[in-house]
Formats: sequence, structure tokens, C-alpha cells
Amino acid sequence: MPDFVYLDHAATTPVRPEVLEVMQPFFGPRFGNPSSMHRWGREARTALDEARERLARALGAASDEVVFTSCGTEADNMALLGVWRARSASGRRAVVTTPIEHKAVLAAVHQIGREGGEERLVGMQSSGLVDDESFDALISDDVAVCSVIWVNNEIGVLQDVSSLAKRANARGVVFHTDAVQAFGKVEVDARITPFDVLSISGHKIGAPKGIGALFVRRGTAIEPLMFGGTQDRGRRPGTENVAMAVGLARAAELAVIERVHEWAALEIRRDRLEAALLSCIPDAVIHGRGIPRAPHIMNISVPGVDSESMLMALDLRGIACSAGSACQSGSITASHVLRAIGVSPDLASSAIRMSLGSMTTDACIERVVEVFPTLVAKARRLTPA
Amino acid sequence: MRERVLVAMSGGVDSSVAAAMLVREGYDVVGATMKLGCHGDELPDRPCCSLESVNDARRICDQLGVPHYVLNLETAFGRDVVTDFVEEYARGRTPIPCVRCNTFTKFRDLLHKADAIDARWIATGHYARVRDGVLHRGLDPAKDQSYFLWGIARPVLARMLLPVGGQTKPETRAIAHALGLELIAEKPDSQDICFVPDGDHAKVIARELGADTPSLSRGPFVRRDGTVVGEHTGYARFTVGQRRGVPGGFREPMYVVEIQPATRAVVIGPRAELLGKGVVAREVNWLVPAPPVGSEIEVQVRHRARPARGTLVHVDGDAIEIALEEAVSAITPGQSLVLYDGSIVLGGGVIERSRRALPVRAA
Repeated sequence: MPDFVYLDHAATTPVRPEVLEVMQPFFGPRFGNPSSMHRWGREARTALDEARERLARALGAASDEVVFTSCGTEADNMALLGVWRARSASGRRAVVTTPIEHKAVLAAVHQIGREGGEERLVGMQSSGLVDDESFDALISDDVAVCSVIWVNNEIGVLQDVSSLAKRANARGVVFHTDAVQAFGKVEVDARITPFDVLSISGHKIGAPKGIGALFVRRGTAIEPLMFGGTQDRGRRPGTENVAMAVGLARAAELAVIERVHEWAALEIRRDRLEAALLSCIPDAVIHGRGIPRAPHIMNISVPGVDSESMLMALDLRGIACSAGSACQSGSITASHVLRAIGVSPDLASSAIRMSLGSMTTDACIERVVEVFPTLVAKARRLTPA
Repeated sequence: MRERVLVAMSGGVDSSVAAAMLVREGYDVVGATMKLGCHGDELPDRPCCSLESVNDARRICDQLGVPHYVLNLETAFGRDVVTDFVEEYARGRTPIPCVRCNTFTKFRDLLHKADAIDARWIATGHYARVRDGVLHRGLDPAKDQSYFLWGIARPVLARMLLPVGGQTKPETRAIAHALGLELIAEKPDSQDICFVPDGDHAKVIARELGADTPSLSRGPFVRRDGTVVGEHTGYARFTVGQRRGVPGGFREPMYVVEIQPATRAVVIGPRAELLGKGVVAREVNWLVPAPPVGSEIEVQVRHRARPARGTLVHVDGDAIEIALEEAVSAITPGQSLVLYDGSIVLGGGVIERSRRALPVRAA
């Protein structure tokens, strides 16, 4: 049995050795600035262009459709604010999103509100899927941009991005999807799915923290968030992070190659974990169960067992999970995602997210299956019903 | 198997040293910082409760090689402590939220968290001592915090560790330096109530109940005989014994001697009118087997007051009455009446009222 079990891959993942290896030269001899005209600059520029091409290929995109950002949050912000600012002058002043987005999207939407835009939140089904009627009613010709998270980061629910994007496009609305959790799990191919803008993040797929990317389909108007030099066609000024761009491209390639196999392997382990926990704790609720879900995220509520105590107890047994969203101080607040899909406050406050990935072995699953029900039983002895 | 202890850590020197001492003594220490309110940037200079304090506690734990958690007790703290605080002011009383925080938040809610992680013990940085299940004053009279601990449930005493209670504050700081906890070793003592910015409790009342709430609205200053002698801007701004803001022009200095919320009146009078010969307290909690009526007892009606001698003259449910040997000044409703026998804390209660005449001794 492993002493330590990391079940928080949706929070972050370790850098893959293959990724670290390709980045290494750029922290050493190939340190040049891609904007310089001399040999060091040329070398860096070549590496950057190549990284962009490779990432583009992994996304089914052309290389001029890829913008490197510092993280997923920057990509989401640029998608929402950049597109809205570019289009709002022409009368499209509304923005549409769901209440189950990552804070990077929700906060950007609130910023649009502060800048004079109209915020519209799509209604949700209790399953965690977008309510189609609500979506269609809100997507009108005064909407600049809409954003729907492809794979929800807390419950793993998979939205029908293809259909939503088509319906948005039909009304002239730019469709963005936060694919930070989706990439590497579902097929993300710009030639197949008609999203206009898409965000990914490096550290969820084995690249380092501090790199993300935005796909922007040709012809989509977008304003930059920052102002400075002409890097990335002026869309993202600032000296490019060559090493991390190279790392992200490599991680993305690997993710695409391994995707189908990875899905199957994760699904088997997650299903085994779910089945075992449900058989020990019959009244446990697994959010989004039976709904199309990504295979790496499982969110379980045990009625009456508060997640904060549970996470502490798990951590002290060497098992790392998470819950809700952590605030700046590190304390936990009940998940806005669960509340938005109608989960009761009590059940929401007992939710625990386990997310599987490269560090998850069969032995990890067995360890959790052994420890988790014991802790639940103990918590229930302490809390009179 | 080392015994586990959950240490409540504010990021200050006392609780940090408490954790360090327990690590040194071989306990399996788990640090926890309670998040009791908003950790915005609005209170950057405050010694506790700020985001920086949480970060300090986390860094100290990292230095000690022990886990640290931030526990969100905001909802319960708001209900048990903050709401009571503003309601007590509305009732014309002067509450001590730290007492309720100890009773309900630290030594009840946090104890539940300790249970959840199999911690046999709970520890804090209080200057008080527990020996054989009995609560004693802190050894350093200048720092003794036992006055704030009377409300905890008696069985909890058997699980409490108060490592710094047997030393002085300078000794605590010296230990911090000796253990290399420079991050917090010279942090200033916290002065105010953690959720009251700048010590301005009226702001909190205004936020919770609205700026036009009766306790913050104009009312009369009156004498004992009912004569109106002025106007004030809210009785919640006053406490018994207060001179600041009281009208002048009398032959002797005047003090607040009573607050009458029904008429919003603040009663003022000379020092003699502050004297009480007896005190009635409610919500009484005993930390020892309840002593019989007639027992001689030492009492303290405020933090850092010299203990006064008295007799337990009446017990009625959770209410008690004490007859004082000598008159005590400014016995204030809402403050704590804490009962001592030398260094031992016998129990305490919330002061309901003082008696100006000596209560009649029960048979």
C-alpha cells in the first residue's frame, strides 16, 4: 500500500520527465530572446515557432490561431474580455455564461459587467448539464461572447460543446470554452468542433505552472489584455516564455497521443473507486453520476460528514483530495458549482473531489477504498444524526 | 504512539510558541488557524485574523515540520459570537466576545475538528494552566487570561493543553527566539477584538443592525432621579464606568452608571453611584463541583481587576448572586463574573446586574 496518495490531479499535476527534458536547454545555452535578430534570438524564435506549430497541430489549428498565455486564467480572461471589448462597440453588449464556470471565467464576466456589459447566466439542469431552452433564449443577437466550460473542474460533467457552439454561431455569437480540464481527456480538435475560442492550461497536463494557451479561430476579433511590444502579433505583448511554450507543446502532443488510452484507464479506476465507496457508504451521493463525465474527476458527498474535517483526516492519512474552492487564506467555502445545480447546502458542504491522473495506481484506489469508509464511519459516530 | 494535539494558531507569538513547545515535548502536532471573518486587505496592520497571520501560522508550522490547516468557522462564529455581541450592545450591555469565542468556537467547534482527526488534545496560546483537570490562573499575573476561559465545558479541561500558561510573556518571546521562530518572535500583542477594526465597535453594530438601530440613535443623558442633563448619539457607545463623552459642568466628575435601552437613556452619576455591594450573574458555568450557598469566594468582575471577596448567597438554575465584602466599582452588565479560589478558576457567569444594597443572605 502506498504511504501517500495524490488524488488531486484536477488541481495540478507533476511536470512530466519528457516535458522537463525538452525545456532544459532553454534555461541554459538556448536562453535567447525570440525578438533579437542575432543567432541567440533566431534560435529561440525558431523554437518558439516550432512550439506554436506543434501545439496548433495538437488542437487541430493553424499556428497563427494559438496565443501563449501565462496560465489558464489569463487565457479565460483574454477570451471573455478580449472578445467582448472588440465587439461591444457594435451593439453586442451582453455576455452569456453558466454558473458552473471556473472563477477565471465568472470573474472576467463580472468585470465585463463593471465595464457596462450585461451579464447573463444560463439555467442549469440538476444533472449539471446546460439547460438548452435557457441557453437558446439567452443567446440573442445582442450577445458578444458566450462561454461554457467543457469539462467542469469540480464534478467532471461534460457539456455538448459542439451543439452549443453551433447554436451560438448561428446567432453570430462568439463561442468560448474553457477546456482546461477537457484537454487530454476529450477530443479537442478545432476542425471538428466549431468553438471560436478555447483555453487550455499547461500544469493540468504535465507541463509547468505558468503557461497556458488560447486558441482564437481566424477571423475572430479580440483585443489584447496587455499593451507593449508586438509579440504574438500584438495579441500578447511581453517576451515569450520560450522554455514553457516548448514544454506545453510537448505535453499537449503527449496528451493527444495518449488520450484514448488514458480515458479508458482512468475510467476503469474511477468506476472501481465509485463502486467500492458506494457499496461501503450506500447513502453517499456522487455528483454527475450517470451523466456524460470526464473520467478523471469524481465528486462525492457523504451526508452529514463535513468536507473540511474529512479532508484534514484524509491528509493526515496521506491522502490528498480537495473540496469546493479554496479562498485566499486556504480555507474552504461550499462549492458554487454544486449550489448552482441545486445541491442542498448541507450536501454541498460535505463534497469531496477526488481527481485521478498519472500518479494514480490501482494500489492508490485500494488505499482510498480502505481508508475513506473508515473515516466516514468515525465521523458519523462523532456526529449524532 | 505519540498523542495528537490540535493547536489553535493565530499566527501570533503565544500560539506559535505553544505549538513549538508541544513539538519539542514529542506530541504529534497539527496546527489549525480558524477563519472567523473576511480575510480581505481591509485590516492590514492587525495582529490577528488577517491573511498575513494565516500565512505566518502556516510558515511556522512548516518550520516545525507539522501540518497546518485553515478551518472555516465563519458561520458558527458569526452566529455564536458576532450576533450575540451586537445584540448585547442593543440590550445596553457590554459584551466580551472573547469569552464566547473560547466557549463556543475554540473549545467546542474546534474541538469537534480535533475529534475528526483523532486528536486527544486541544491546545491554545492562552496564559492559563490546567492541572489535574482544574483550570488555574496563568503564572504571570500581568498576562493571566483565565478570566476569559470560565465558559468552557468542564469535561474539555481534561483535553486542554496550555503550554505557555506557566511562563511570562518575555519568556515566551525568548523561547520563540531560541527556537528560531524569528518570523513571529517580536509580533506585538493583539489588543482589540479580532472582528472589530480600530476598536470601533459601533462600526460593527452599524454593519450588522444598520446605522439607524436604536442603540446607535440619539437618546438622553439622565440622572438617577430622571432629570435629563444632555443628549448622546447612541447608548451602545457607552459602558458603565465610562467618563469619556459624558456631560461636564457638575461639582464632581460624572460617570456612566447605568444604561436603560427601553428609553435609550444613559444614566450618569458621581463615582459613589458606581459602587455595588452585590452582583447577579447568569449563564453560570462551573469548572469544579458547584460550591454550596454560603461559600466564601473570590470574584473578579473584569479582566485585570483585583479579586474581591464575597459570599455565594443565592443559586437559581444558571443564575447566582454574590454578596461582596467591600463595594466594587463599575460592575457592568455583559461582562464576566469569574469566581476564583486562589489560582483556581471555579467558574463564572455573565453579569446581569449589580446590587447597590447588600443582598439578603440566605438562611
